Amino acid sequence: MNPEPFLQLDRVIHEKGRLAIMSLLAASPQLSFTELRDALNMTDGNITAHIRTLQVAGYVSVTKAFQGGRPLTTFALTAQGRKAFTNYINLLEQIVRQTKSGK
Amino acid sequence: MTQDWATEHLQAIRTLMERAAIYRRALAPITLFVGSTGVVAAAVGWFAAIDSHRAFGLYWILVCLVALAGAFLLVRRQALKDTEAFWSPPMRRVAQALMPPFFVGLVSCAIMVMPKWREPLQVWWLPPIWMVLYGCAIHAAGFFMPRGMKLFGWGFVLAGCLILAVLNLRSYASGLPALVNAHWLMGATFGAFHLAYGVYLCFSEKRKNEA
Repeated sequence: MNPEPFLQLDRVIHEKGRLAIMSLLAASPQLSFTELRDALNMTDGNITAHIRTLQVAGYVSVTKAFQGGRPLTTFALTAQGRKAFTNYINLLEQIVRQTKSGK
Repeated sequence: MTQDWATEHLQAIRTLMERAAIYRRALAPITLFVGSTGVVAAAVGWFAAIDSHRAFGLYWILVCLVALAGAFLLVRRQALKDTEAFWSPPMRRVAQALMPPFFVGLVSCAIMVMPKWREPLQVWWLPPIWMVLYGCAIHAAGFFMPRGMKLFGWGFVLAGCLILAVLNLRSYASGLPALVNAHWLMGATFGAFHLAYGVYLCFSEKRKNEA
């Protein structure tokens, strides 16, 4: 089997928690902190840590606003994040195809 | 093994992406509120003897608006409580799916109640038509909601079709009962169906939270 695709997998996205966050954000233009936390059953600290890593990598943008006098933090994938996520999926599919064909 | 790992990853990604697109906000309170409104409205309609074709149509459109306003407030309340955006993408998808059948329901009501010459008994056709349209709306919205919602939609579609068939048979055979009885039909379907589903949602959501 050619190890090339596996080596190309983006380490930032590959971590389980961050991959889950990226998957949810890829399916939705934006999600709030609460929506992410409830959908993934993660602690506030976990979400914050993963979002920070994704933000540093330039994959996620964070918007802070107020709604009904209460703070509302929303997250969205950046163009770079969407591209990285698409590449990641393509590589996974390539790995599946390669293993099936026995290369 | 590598293939299993990659396939599992892809499957997990697919599941999460589907989950992000699903609307779950305040479903049990909404169905319970709509059900209670339907039952109360049916009782009021029957006791107040609302039996002219125009009054019947306008009365139930008003009830529908009350139910929609209540649902709107419940959704807004939960969005504020959870500090989420009200007009979230799943919310937008559900609203878009509901819109066309709701619009046709409004137009069919206008067509039925506008002419002065309309016989009150002809308005018996409105409840089953509304049921079928409502069922189609819920079924369409069900693609962006938990799985049971599509079955709930089918319940309305089947009930509407059954009532259409019975009305068709009765109108030729023995005639139709007074229009005032149609309020009970509305209460039994739009009221009781929602109440039953609301109770089910209350228990199933509670079980899920405990699990």
